[in-house]
Amino acid sequence: MAARKQQIRKFTRPQILFHWVYASAWIVLVLTGTTFLWRPDPHGPAVGLGALLQGSVGQWLRLVHRVAAVVLMAAPLLWLALEPRRVLSELRELMIIRRNDIQYLLVAPLHYTFGRPPLPPQGKYNGGHKLNFWVVVLTFVGFVVSGITMWFFRGVVAAETFRLMLLIHNVCFWLGLGMGMLHIYLTVLHPFTRQALSAMISGFVDLKYATAEHSEWVEEQLRSGQAEVREAPAASGGSD
Amino acid sequence: MGRAATWETWKPDPGNPNQHVAMLVDTSECIGCKACEVACKQWNLNEARINQEPGTYQSHPHLDAQTWTLIRFVERTNDQGEVEWLFQKHNCMHCTEAGCVTACPTDALQYGNYGVVTLDQEKCIGCAYCEQACPFDAIHVDRNPFNPRAQKAGKCTLCYDRITAGMQPACVKTCPTDCIKFGDRDALIEWGRQRVEELKARGFKNANLYGVDQLGGLHELYVLLEPPEVYGLPANPKISTWTKLWKYAVQPLGKLAVGAGLFGLAVNWVAARRAFLQGQAAGHGESDHAAGQS
Repeated sequence: MAARKQQIRKFTRPQILFHWVYASAWIVLVLTGTTFLWRPDPHGPAVGLGALLQGSVGQWLRLVHRVAAVVLMAAPLLWLALEPRRVLSELRELMIIRRNDIQYLLVAPLHYTFGRPPLPPQGKYNGGHKLNFWVVVLTFVGFVVSGITMWFFRGVVAAETFRLMLLIHNVCFWLGLGMGMLHIYLTVLHPFTRQALSAMISGFVDLKYATAEHSEWVEEQLRSGQAEVREAPAASGGSD
Repeated sequence: MGRAATWETWKPDPGNPNQHVAMLVDTSECIGCKACEVACKQWNLNEARINQEPGTYQSHPHLDAQTWTLIRFVERTNDQGEVEWLFQKHNCMHCTEAGCVTACPTDALQYGNYGVVTLDQEKCIGCAYCEQACPFDAIHVDRNPFNPRAQKAGKCTLCYDRITAGMQPACVKTCPTDCIKFGDRDALIEWGRQRVEELKARGFKNANLYGVDQLGGLHELYVLLEPPEVYGLPANPKISTWTKLWKYAVQPLGKLAVGAGLFGLAVNWVAARRAFLQGQAAGHGESDHAAGQS
């Protein structure tokens, strides 16, 4: 058997905690929010699962939706409280979209289907991560503004404003759901990238994988001496 | 026209649920006595709510989840310089194209028999989308933070339980001037048009019949003495563009896009797996897959 694989730390514990608190709340919100999708035609009855989600069941789901919404809104504050400096540096990294990121986004659909053409070298976050970041941030703002308006300011704001908020909430739902599906697919199912998931569990990811996918970041980490490298534990870590 | 024109004996045809019924309020005969409000509360077992705004004879500031009909008082100075009241018995208009039914995510609000918009509170989840979609402010959901399960929509049902049993709606039955009439919609429109002509001949030049064409036709008709806006009624009510966009564009397109997306991911998985296994066979599998490493 060959020597154990080398791993490099990508995410800190608070960041991982934040990610999973946010992700859990997000999934609960998506599932409870689907209550509103089962009556496509007002001239007919609710279809499919809609028949089961009415009355007190739907009322409980709405309550759960609100509890999860509070958790989702509090999650970023939790991370900010735990490691404020790192939050800022990570945000800076995620916010800025460079030429490489655009190139990445153009090439990625082909690369992740056929294995070629090659991807341009990427930093800690590639163009896809940054796209995900922006969709998450913008839908977060859309969800929070429209959600709080509907929750607390029904009857205070004009009815037309409420109707617009309802529309915004729904647009954010579809944008977020699409991005979320892709995000989950790439880290859980896609043959090329699924080993990245370990970074969001143990914090470490396979060094060879990281070098291939995030060469700029790995080089910079090794050069500056900031890299936290370890041998993969016997029964965990990346795939293989 | 008074008692002579009573519609008291009229019943909808139980064999023809497609027949459209309506209520017509002849506001020229309304005396603002609020007996209809009391009868409505009593028949529908709705609690009394004392929340009158000071400085008015109007019983409640607006309809609410347990107040389903309300005489709105418009106090104004008329052309002769006299102070006068206009009364409008306000409640659900039972629209043919209803904002509330369009927005309802459950089976609670439906287009029922006889053109009535029915509300089944057992199915209601209290989301209040109906309240905010209604162009007439005629359906409401109480805020009930300490008992969320009591948070249900409430509105006039046109006494669906009574009319399907051959009775008149409670408010119609009790009205002392017979200004509220219940009957076949077409016949009431005919009656209302004649009444408007009569009123115009008597000098009420602004008299008009409201509800014939609005939102595909309302099942609550009004003989008004002044233009609808004077009573706070929208001359041309509409279901909001935002509501329609949400229901008829964003929701179906979103479902379609998610379906197409799932299909695309499945296809991608099959193709990517082949590329991955080939790369592995050629010694470029797993972590070496990224062809950036040549």
